[in-house]
Order: sequence, then structure tokens, then C-alpha cells
Amino acid sequence: MLSLGALTFAYPAALFGFAVLAVIWWFLRLTPPAPLRVAFPPVRLLANLIQQEESPARTPLWLLLLRLALASAIILSVAHPLLDAHAPLQNQGPVYILLDDDWVAATDWDKRRSSLLRLADQAERENRSVVFATTAPRPSSVRAEPLSLLSAADARKLFGAIQPKPWPSNRQAALDQLSALSARTAATAGTVFWLTNGVAEQEQDEDPSAVTAKTISALQKLGPVTVLTDGSLRLPVTLGEPVYENGSLTLTLRRSVDQGSVGYFLRAFGEDGQVLVRRSVVFEAGDLETEAALRLPSEQFNRLTRVDIEAAGHVGAVLLFDERWRRRPVGLATAGAGVPVQPLLREHHYLARALEPFTEVREGSVEDLLKREMAILALTDSGVISTRDRNDLQGWIAKGGVLLRFAGPNLAQSGNQENGGLLPVRLRAGDREIGGAMSWGKPATLAPFGEESPFYGLPIAKDVTVRRQVLASPSLDLAEKTWARLSDGTPLVTAERQGNGWSILFHTTANAEWSNLALSGMFVDMLRRIVGLSQGVSGSGDGPPLVAIETLDGFGVASDGNVDAQSIAQKDFEKTRVSADHPPGVYGDSGSRRVLNLSVGADQLTPLSALPVGVDQISYEAQTERDLRPWLLLAALVLFIIDSIASLALRGLLPMRRAIAGLVWVLVLAGSAGHTAKANEDFARANSLQTRLAYVISGDEQVDETSKRGLTGLSGILHDRTAAELGSPQAVDPGVDDLSFFPLLYWPIVPGYRLPNDLTAQRVIQYLQGGGTILFDTRDRSGGASALALRELAFGLDLPPLVPVPRDHVLTRSFYLLDDFPGRWMGDGVWIEKAGERVNDGVASVISGSHDWAAAWAVDDAQRPLYPVVPGGERQRELAYRFGVNLVMYTLTGNYKSDQVHLPAILERIGQ
Amino acid sequence: MREPIQINRKRSDSQHKAESVAAGFPALLVAAERVASTVSQGVHGRRRVGQGETFWQFRRYEYGDSVQQIDWRQSAKSTPVYVRETEWEAAQSVWLWRDGSASMDFQSSEKSTSKRERASLLLLALASLLVRGGERMALLGTGMLPATGRAVLPQFWSMLEANAGAANSLPQVETLPRYARMVWFGDFLSRPEELDKVVRTYANLGIKGHLVQVLDSAEELLPYDGRILFGGVESGEGDVLVRRVEELRGAYQQELARHNDALKAIVRRYGWSLTTHRTDHAPEPVLLALFVLLSEAVGG
Repeated sequence: MLSLGALTFAYPAALFGFAVLAVIWWFLRLTPPAPLRVAFPPVRLLANLIQQEESPARTPLWLLLLRLALASAIILSVAHPLLDAHAPLQNQGPVYILLDDDWVAATDWDKRRSSLLRLADQAERENRSVVFATTAPRPSSVRAEPLSLLSAADARKLFGAIQPKPWPSNRQAALDQLSALSARTAATAGTVFWLTNGVAEQEQDEDPSAVTAKTISALQKLGPVTVLTDGSLRLPVTLGEPVYENGSLTLTLRRSVDQGSVGYFLRAFGEDGQVLVRRSVVFEAGDLETEAALRLPSEQFNRLTRVDIEAAGHVGAVLLFDERWRRRPVGLATAGAGVPVQPLLREHHYLARALEPFTEVREGSVEDLLKREMAILALTDSGVISTRDRNDLQGWIAKGGVLLRFAGPNLAQSGNQENGGLLPVRLRAGDREIGGAMSWGKPATLAPFGEESPFYGLPIAKDVTVRRQVLASPSLDLAEKTWARLSDGTPLVTAERQGNGWSILFHTTANAEWSNLALSGMFVDMLRRIVGLSQGVSGSGDGPPLVAIETLDGFGVASDGNVDAQSIAQKDFEKTRVSADHPPGVYGDSGSRRVLNLSVGADQLTPLSALPVGVDQISYEAQTERDLRPWLLLAALVLFIIDSIASLALRGLLPMRRAIAGLVWVLVLAGSAGHTAKANEDFARANSLQTRLAYVISGDEQVDETSKRGLTGLSGILHDRTAAELGSPQAVDPGVDDLSFFPLLYWPIVPGYRLPNDLTAQRVIQYLQGGGTILFDTRDRSGGASALALRELAFGLDLPPLVPVPRDHVLTRSFYLLDDFPGRWMGDGVWIEKAGERVNDGVASVISGSHDWAAAWAVDDAQRPLYPVVPGGERQRELAYRFGVNLVMYTLTGNYKSDQVHLPAILERIGQ
Repeated sequence: MREPIQINRKRSDSQHKAESVAAGFPALLVAAERVASTVSQGVHGRRRVGQGETFWQFRRYEYGDSVQQIDWRQSAKSTPVYVRETEWEAAQSVWLWRDGSASMDFQSSEKSTSKRERASLLLLALASLLVRGGERMALLGTGMLPATGRAVLPQFWSMLEANAGAANSLPQVETLPRYARMVWFGDFLSRPEELDKVVRTYANLGIKGHLVQVLDSAEELLPYDGRILFGGVESGEGDVLVRRVEELRGAYQQELARHNDALKAIVRRYGWSLTTHRTDHAPEPVLLALFVLLSEAVGG
């Protein structure tokens, strides 16, 4: 170690390397850069010109300095300079590191980790071994390994991976291990670093400061002790056990030290990680504890899974919530063997839809449901309840459960014995039908609710009618038990208090079978009142042990079950506290879930008291040692690259011109790519904003011009005579352009035309399958070279079989009535895809002919025809136009026109 | 199996290129000063009776003449029987040679053609012209006998490709028929005295020749800058280190001109000729010059 002010060299011996610089200087001066060698046949002539010996050129001064700088950078980096290095380690023995890695340390874990890594660096530089002990106990399932001496490199790997544990620490165990090691290895005195969490540990009946002093003295046996601490100001704020009262959740925040008035934010999360509510909490100056009430609507409260302090970063600020905190879950009991019903007509469906907005709904058998947290159990018209279920249900109601039953055909048939005790009133056998086909009366409406009814105050929906119901046997207390009546006074909802719970019966079905009550919003309101009445009954306390489903780590981040976590017996769960075997998290199985929170039963954190004399105390922050070696190596690398380039340039080996040309090429290519993308976009925009006819570029200039003018002429005719207003025709290249914008593609075939490649064929096939229509025109009387080309093309395109256009085809009557389809020529057949070959809205995808239609349609700028028609006459040209109009109409309207063709037949069949 | 196919394609390419260069020219009939006294038949009439196509004279039938030689039409005009005789037509032999030494591989940039490639092209193009004129020709130093016909071209090509008989920068002296013609392609950068020796030997045989000097543009212009080590390509040539090439450029061009003047003096002395060609120029002009030189009349 050599220190020059703030600069320290770890290996000062390497600085003697600067003596070598002089030698390098001399050597470089003598050796000029090698010249470029060129093989040159007339070298004899050159040799005639040069007689004298070439004297060696000198290396340019700037290159010399560059290389010396390079050498200096390498020498300096070997010397390993450090800026603001801290004091060297004391003694010669190992470096003992005691780390508090419990949840309290999670707050500033990164600082602790970098301190650890710095200690490892220092140990490596001074060639010390490292002993590393952590104070958080290990889970019992992990085999405890005795401490050992580590190399600094191994220690660094360990430090990179270590994480804070979500349970409290036990320093005494770690100290025992350390002293056992020092006894075992009989190592010389080393130096000790204690990375504290700033919390004093408590033992029974002992003063915390005495415990700390004991710890320090144990450490001092190993060597001089340095304590790394952040002081008490960084101690975490924790969340205490929550209390639920009167619809609001009261949370207690605790801090260890009075830091004045400080504010925090509380966040409540739902099941899917959604933040349900976020509110601020403020510690007033002088308070160590403050309370915050979270008021949540019951439907949101039932989704609550987690509350934490925002940005706390440790598990002490996290509270998990389970079903015990849920308000009033409702169970829907599924009937044993019911008649299969359509899912949307099931009574469960109606109930679930009505209940889900404000409560949690569970389905299952009565037996399963009773094992869980449950406030209300709804039994639809399920028929017979087994004796065991009946007994269970009665016990459950007595404990405070609410049984909600609905009538139905089954209940109407079964007797009172089978339902003994599970009905609020005795029922008369059979049901009553009001306002059916055999009844004079009309379906009954609801009477206003009485004051004693829990439904009192709900507005009566006028449109709710009840067609069938079961009737209660008259009794003295029937009026008391009745919560809702029909307008004729018969009870609709009756209820009876049984023990702590209620038995409630709707005298009609929960679906729309007997009444439309289940369809109305009033049903939801009534159920809400009933749910409000319930209080919930906890599940039975025995069952399989609860295993960890999801655990929190030291930072309070949830992860899938920790394999080291032990399962907890259900009956012991209440007493269980967080430990190495039971990390905080969610325990349970698919049936029931319980949460274990760290803060439950945790004590107030006591800050570490003043340390005994003779102990160095440094902060985590203060240790900023900067290593200059990487920067020097980087500088050396940069200098080396510059030197290489300079050497190449001096020898003329640097292909400067080619490099620049390459760069220009790259730029040009990038530019053209951008240009292509822009062109594609323009093409798409122009053709999607307006419907256009399109023709395929044949490669023959005159043919293309004719196609363009022909389609222009046809578009004009369409504009004049029909509702189709088309844009100017578009030339397309099927290999390049996107064809999907065009309803009709005019494809003139020139002799010898071939598809450029398979990709083009694929695109055309896609176009045809996607609903496009192509008019192939060989432009000559049939049998010419163009027909051959078309045949070739047809093979490539996998065209469907064609037939001559039938006399009654839609094409002959989609706008004009036509018998044949002349173009510039006439008399040859026009071929079309067989009807029904493809499902393309009834429009044939391929039409083929040889009449050179574009030439017949083509007009010049003054709208005069360009080509004579053969055999001639304006009649033929008119018919050619009419074919064009029919064709465009056919492709644009699809089967609408074909339906029109069949209209008379359809009308006749309807009988109009 | 693949190898021969590739060679054939390369050959047909090379031959095709040579023939397309030659395509613009008419058939080359080498002006025969004194046609070699070989028995080979050709297009140069010897103005005496012999094998040939062209009518020469009628003469009286003599004993021993073949009956088939009798011209019955002529004989019918008078009493004696006449025999039809044709002129003896002989072919001029042209001996071609191309420098195959290492210096011919030089090309100043990757895009330019090498000197060897260009010399071969010129040789084949000339051969193609000669074939059309019905002349006989052979490659000097290969030991082949003069031949004619299109089949000669592929043969030439494969010989050139194999670099047959041309490893030196000047042709070897060998015994040739008198009055043959010669065309040499090469860079002729060796000492003028060496050239003088070879040319004198052949000129003493009565052979007339044309030298085509093929140079790369870099060899003529010396377009380099800075400090460059110029290396010799043939054995016995040392390296030359030039500190600032740009300063030497003018002197070098003068030196090259002096060298070429020396070459021209030699060839003029023996009635031969020298044409200079650069690989970055089109081959047609030099072919035209050769055409004129070879077809020009006696004493022209």
C-alpha cells in the first residue's frame, strides 16, 4: 500500500515499470512503421532511379507519445490505484463478518450488500480469508453447516446471493458458531465487522443494552470490532395486527424512534394485485404509534388480500388477509343428483349473478361448504337433504349461520318431516298457482314491506309478479315470521330465528320459473339485506395440516411456496408465530387458506443502544472507495485501438475510400427502405379510401396503356349510369403490391407472360381466396400464344375449373340484361368459375375471355374511343360497356344481385 | 465429374469473349511476303500449278494424267484433249506467343484485368481472325505443328491456360520454317539486350514478327503515394523502397519511355513492329492495329 493523498496504490511495486518507458521510447524511436509492400513488375526501372540506400524513417512524435501513454496506462492499472481507500485491515488473521440478515435489514439491503462486497475486495487485496456468519436462523429442514474459512472470491459469490430472511434474528446462535470456529481453527486474531440491523435483541428479563454489550464482548475475543450501522433513524416502520370494526379496518403503524412528523402511504391490494385503496398516514411528532382506518365497501373488502406501507421494502410492513377477514361469504349448495338443466337457467346462476356484486360466492356440497368460512348458505329447490346434512345444518344455524332456501316443485312435493327444522314455517303440501291457464286470478304482485321486515324501505318493483308459490300453514306466529307478502297477503318470504342464526325461505323459485322476482333489481337488494343480517361462522378447526402455498421474502415480495417452510396443524395455527420454519405467507390447501403475518405477536423494535468504548462505528454510507483500475484498462484499450488505426493509416492499409463508400451505401439503403415503407403506406391509403378498378401490369407498354385507358373509360361509364363512383384505375404488380384493396383485377395476358416467382403466385391465390375476382383477357381470338400463356398461368395459380357463362348467370343480369359479352372482338365464349365451387359470397373468383375488353372501353382524353370494334358498330361498343357495368356490379354486390335474380321465385314461395 | 464441366464453361467463356472481340473484323488474310514452302494447302496462291480451288490453265493431255483430270467441255471445242489445272494454293503459318511469366499476373486493382488475361484474350481474338482467313498457326514453344480450323481455338486456350512453353518473359529460340510470321504478346520489361538477342535470331531466319506490349495502367502512371516498398515479381529482382513515390513519378515515366524507345529501336532494326496496349483500354484498337500490320501488302 502506498498512499499519495487521496490516491492509494494497492501494488506500488508495479510502479517501477515506469523505468521501462525509457527503453520503450528508445525502441520506438528506432523502429519506423513498416511500409506498404506493392508487387510491381517494372521494379527494375525503379531500381535504376534509386541508387542510394533508404535511411530509416523516424516514428512520428505524436505516435510515440500515444504509445507511451498506452504503456503508462497499463503500468498504472497493474499498480491498482484506489481513490479514497479505507484503512487497511488490522491484525493478520481472518476477517470475521457478522451480518444481521433478518427482515429488519431488508430496508437498506443494497447498501449492506455493497459493504459486504467491499469487505471481500479488501480481504482479497490483503490476502485474508473470510469467516461469514449470519444471525437469522436457518430453517430446520436445511442442514446446519459449521462455519468455515472462505477465500475472498468464494465469499464474494456468497455475498452476491444472500437475501434477507423474513423472520427475526438470533444473534446468540451466530456468536456461538463464531467462537466454536475460532476455537476449532485456533486462528490468530483477525478483525471483526458487524453489519448490524440497528436493533437490540431482547432476551428474557434482560436489559437490551446488556445483551448488546455481551454480543460485543463475544466479538472482541476474535479481534478488534468495527460496527457498521445506520443508526436508529433507518429502523423500519411496521404494521401491527389489524382490527375490523364497524365496516372499517383499523391498522396500527409502529416506529421505534421518534423522528418527528413523518407521513407514509398505506396500500390495500385485491386478489389480482389491483390497488383497492391508498391513503396517507402521518406520525405526529412524539408518537411511536399511529392508527389508520381503511374504509372499504364490503364488496371490495371481500377482495382484500394484502395491505402494506408503500415503498417500505421489508416484510414487517406487509399484512396478508385471508377468509377470516372476509365479510359474509355465501355458499351455494349444489343438489346431489339434480336433473341436468341448461346452465343459464339454473337457479344457481340467478343467485350467483345477484350475489356476486357484493359478496363472495362459493359453490359446493353442503358438507364441503360447512367446513369453510360461511355466513349464508343458500339451498335452492334441491329436494331431499340427507339426515347428516340436516343435522350439520341445524348445528351450523344454531352457531349463527343463515340458511336461505328457495321453494320449487321439489319442496312443494316433499313433506315437512324431511325438512324438519330447516324451514321457518310449516308448509302446506303442493303449490299454489296464481293466474295460470286454469285460474281466474292474475299473477300476484308484492305488497309493501312491513316495518318489522328487514326489507323495510326497499321500493316495491311494480312489474314483479309471482305466478306460483308454496303456501305456509296458518299458525299464530306466521305474521311475525313473514318478511314479505304478496298483495293478497300470502307470505312470500318467511324467516325464523334458530339459535344465533336464521332460517329463511323464499316461497318461490330462485329462477324465473315461478316468478320474475329473480329477474328484478329488487331481488338483489333483498339478498343484500339478508347478507347484511348474517355474521359469519368460522369453519371447523380440524383438518389436514396447512402447507405453505405462498410465502413472503424479507422484502415482502410474494413467491410460490418456500420448500423449507414446514406445514402447520390447523389447531395450532392461531398460536404459531413467524420463524425460520414458518415464514410469513399463505398456508392451507384448496379448501381453506390462512395467513401468517410477521407482525402478529411481534414486539416493538428497540434501537441498538450506545456501543461500548473501543468499538469502531462506521456508517454504511461512508465507505466510498473507488477503484481506478477498470478506467485505466478502458483507457489503455481505447489507446490501443487508436494506435492500431493510426498504424494501419501510416502504412496505407486503411481502405479509407471503401469504408466511406460502404457507409454511404448503408445510408442510401436505409433511406430507400424508409422510402419503400412510405410508398407502401401511400399505396394502401390511396386505395383504401376509394374503391378503384385495378389492372395487372403486363410488361408491354401499349397493353398497359390500353388497360389504363380502358378502365378509365369504364369508370366514367359507371359514374354516369350507376351508383358506383370509382377512383382512377390503379396499376398493380401482383408481386409487389397488396392486392387486397381491389374488388376486381383486370389481367391482360401477353404472349409469353410468366409469373415472376412462386411468391407472386401465392399472393394471387391469396387474393382469390380472400374474395377477389380476376378478369383474364387474352386479347386475341382464342387459341393464340396468349391463350398458351394463360394456360401456363392457370397451372401456377391453381385456378378452379371454368365453364362457359350459363345463360341465366347473374353476370347476364346484374345491371343490364345481356346475352353475350363482346369487347373489341366478339363471338368467343366467356368462361367463368363454376357456381358453388367456392363460397366467396356467390361471386366467381375467375372470369376469362379473349375479347380485349379494355380496348373496347378505352377512351382518349377527350372521351373518344381509341380503338375500333370488330366487326363494328356503336351497338357493339355499347354492349362492351354494358358487360363492364354488369361485371363491376357483380363483383361489388355479390350475392345480393343473385338474390334479386331469384326474387320472383322467393316471392312466389312466400305466397305474396 | 464437376471439374471438366467447369473448365469447359470457362473455356467457352474465354473463347466467346475473344470471338466477340474479333467479331467486328473481316477474315484476316495474312499478307504473304514469301509463303512458307510448306506443302500445306491454303489461300495464298503460289502462281504455279498445284493443289487448289482456283482455275489456273488448260494444257494438253499427256500420258500419265488421270482421266478424271480431263476437262471434257474444253476438249470438245477442238481436236486435242485438254486437262484442267488449278493454282497451287498454300497457307501462311503464323506463330503466336504469349508471355506467361509471373509479372503478367499483375493487376493494379481488383477490378482491372490482369495483363495475362488481356494478352490471352488478344491472342485468341487474333487466332479467331486467322482461322476465318484459313491461315495456319501454332503456339510458339509448345512444339505443336501449325494447324487451322476452329478446333485450334480450344486447343490454344487449354495450352494458354496450362501456361505451356511460356514461363520465361521472352520466347525460346527454336527452329521454325522460314518466312513464317510471328506475333508476341508480353510486357517486355526485361532488359532490351535480351530481347535483341532473341529477335535477331528469328529475324535471321527470315521470320517477320509483331510485338504487342501489354502494360497495366499502374505500370505506366505509377499512381502510388507515400512510402512504399516495391517488390519484384520475378526471380532475381530485389525490392526497392521508395520514400515518396509522388516525387519519383515523372522520372519513372521518362524511364519507361526510354525503355520503350530502346525496344522500338530493336524491332525497327529487324523490320519488326511494336504495339503498346494498356489493360484499362479496349482490346479492339490493338486488334485493328494487328490486323492492319498482318494484312498489309509487301513493303507496305
